[in-house]
Amino acid sequence: MYMPFFARSHFDLGVVVRDLLAGARRPALWIAFATDEIQQRYRRSRLGLAWIVISYLVFVASITVFFGHFSDVGHSQFTVYVAVNFAIFTFLLGNVTDGCAVFRVARTWIKSAPLPHSIYIFKSIARSLFVFAINFQVAVAILFGFGFRLHPIAWMAVPAFFVLLLNVVFVQLAFGYLAARVQDIDHLMQSVTRVFYFTTPVLWVRNENEAPGLRKTISELNPFTHALEIFSAPILGKQPDPHSWAYIGIFTVVMFVIALVIGGLSHRRLPYWV
Amino acid sequence: MTAIADVRSHPPKKPVMSQRLGTAFLEAEGLGVTFRARGNVLHDSDAPADGRLVWSKSGRLRGVRALQDVSFRLSQGDRLAIIGQNGSGKTTLLQVLAGIIAPEVGRLTAVGRITSLININLGIQVEATGHRNITLRGLAAGYSRREIEARRQEIADFSELGEFLDMPMDAYSAGMRMRLTFAIATAFEPEILILDEWLSAGDIAFKEKATQRMQSFVGRAGILVLASHSPQLILDNCDTAMWLDEGRIRAYGEVRGILDQYNSHSKAVQKPAARPG
Repeated sequence: MYMPFFARSHFDLGVVVRDLLAGARRPALWIAFATDEIQQRYRRSRLGLAWIVISYLVFVASITVFFGHFSDVGHSQFTVYVAVNFAIFTFLLGNVTDGCAVFRVARTWIKSAPLPHSIYIFKSIARSLFVFAINFQVAVAILFGFGFRLHPIAWMAVPAFFVLLLNVVFVQLAFGYLAARVQDIDHLMQSVTRVFYFTTPVLWVRNENEAPGLRKTISELNPFTHALEIFSAPILGKQPDPHSWAYIGIFTVVMFVIALVIGGLSHRRLPYWV
Repeated sequence: MTAIADVRSHPPKKPVMSQRLGTAFLEAEGLGVTFRARGNVLHDSDAPADGRLVWSKSGRLRGVRALQDVSFRLSQGDRLAIIGQNGSGKTTLLQVLAGIIAPEVGRLTAVGRITSLININLGIQVEATGHRNITLRGLAAGYSRREIEARRQEIADFSELGEFLDMPMDAYSAGMRMRLTFAIATAFEPEILILDEWLSAGDIAFKEKATQRMQSFVGRAGILVLASHSPQLILDNCDTAMWLDEGRIRAYGEVRGILDQYNSHSKAVQKPAARPG
């Protein structure tokens, strides 16, 4: 009896959409799951949730101290740049790595209750949204603290954020199924995430790196570069680069198709894999 | 009123919210499940042939057939026991019936609210309190906060856990966990209740209480599927039995007759298996 890697006869293109809708209808459940995880993570520490703010501030402060002088923009401007970009960057990158483990950590539930798989994805995103919400408030406080004000163009960060949120769902879904089947994805992502720290304009300013070359090419191919551009530029008072919007638009569609295909192939087999 | 969980779709969580009593229905047609094997296990031609193992042409282990051609039909008030040796496919069958894993082949038709307790440790947040777990499991089973609150007191009473419900569940003994999970699962009036053998771990008082509760629920025209190694628990709760052997139905019928067949078979195979050394 021949058994292919994925049983093609069980391919179901619509299953991802049905699963996402079924999960989206039950926010009480994934919010409860997410709340539990947050409480567990911080329950036994004295400072509790303050650690979210502390670890964020430590990073922003050290980057501005060590890297601030490499940049041509003013010191206070660079601090705000790092603060906003780092908040959204850790949110996005964290979701990629969380995505690889999203089904593995929910293993006991997957094997004991017939819930939509998107419940676990929404739970994971809700948890990181909570952290992002705190970090982002600190970032805005830093922005105001250095005497900057929000430009009217800042509203463009709102649609950008929703598009990124959509991408996060697709990315978690695709990586979740892939990593459940192929453990190597986990290791691959761990090594690649380090590279993203350097190739994404968080520690450096994108506009100051205009010289064509390998460095430029790699950072412009990096989806995080464009994700940060469409979200952060409006908050920092600049018109976001239309190329970045185009890149993210295409990326979203491609990611959606990839998630549909991977999910369609994997959905029914997930309980066997985790 | 019928939800069909065919091989192409993930079985719906609550197949049908039927309000009328006496409509519960569970039918399996030719269910088959094959677990894929990972790693590099080569075929040993000296080993006794095992019909469950699937080999590739080059003699590598590709999978294990956990269930083959399982068909049966249960309707209101039926109480089915699943018996068989370890590894005969009992838990896999329960997982398929509960909609947790989709069958490779075959069709499952289920009408009625399904509640399954397949592994006592699954679906529990051990770091959370008993009360919190009541909420989580209730939400996971698709109930609203209001419905959960309406039943909280009853669950607390049945579990007899009292103040322990405010403590994290990793402080509970196995028996306490079992009481709570059983209390939660049966509090919401399931129409189809699927239980694995862990129930037999309880003490006598709890077993009696659980048996009473199961009987009252089956009396209200539900379906019970119970896998167990305990003849007493089976005789107390079931009227029909299915003997699974290497993933296939070996015998199916009235509970006492099947149990007798199974016991005499087990004794017969035990003797030659007792080799010296």
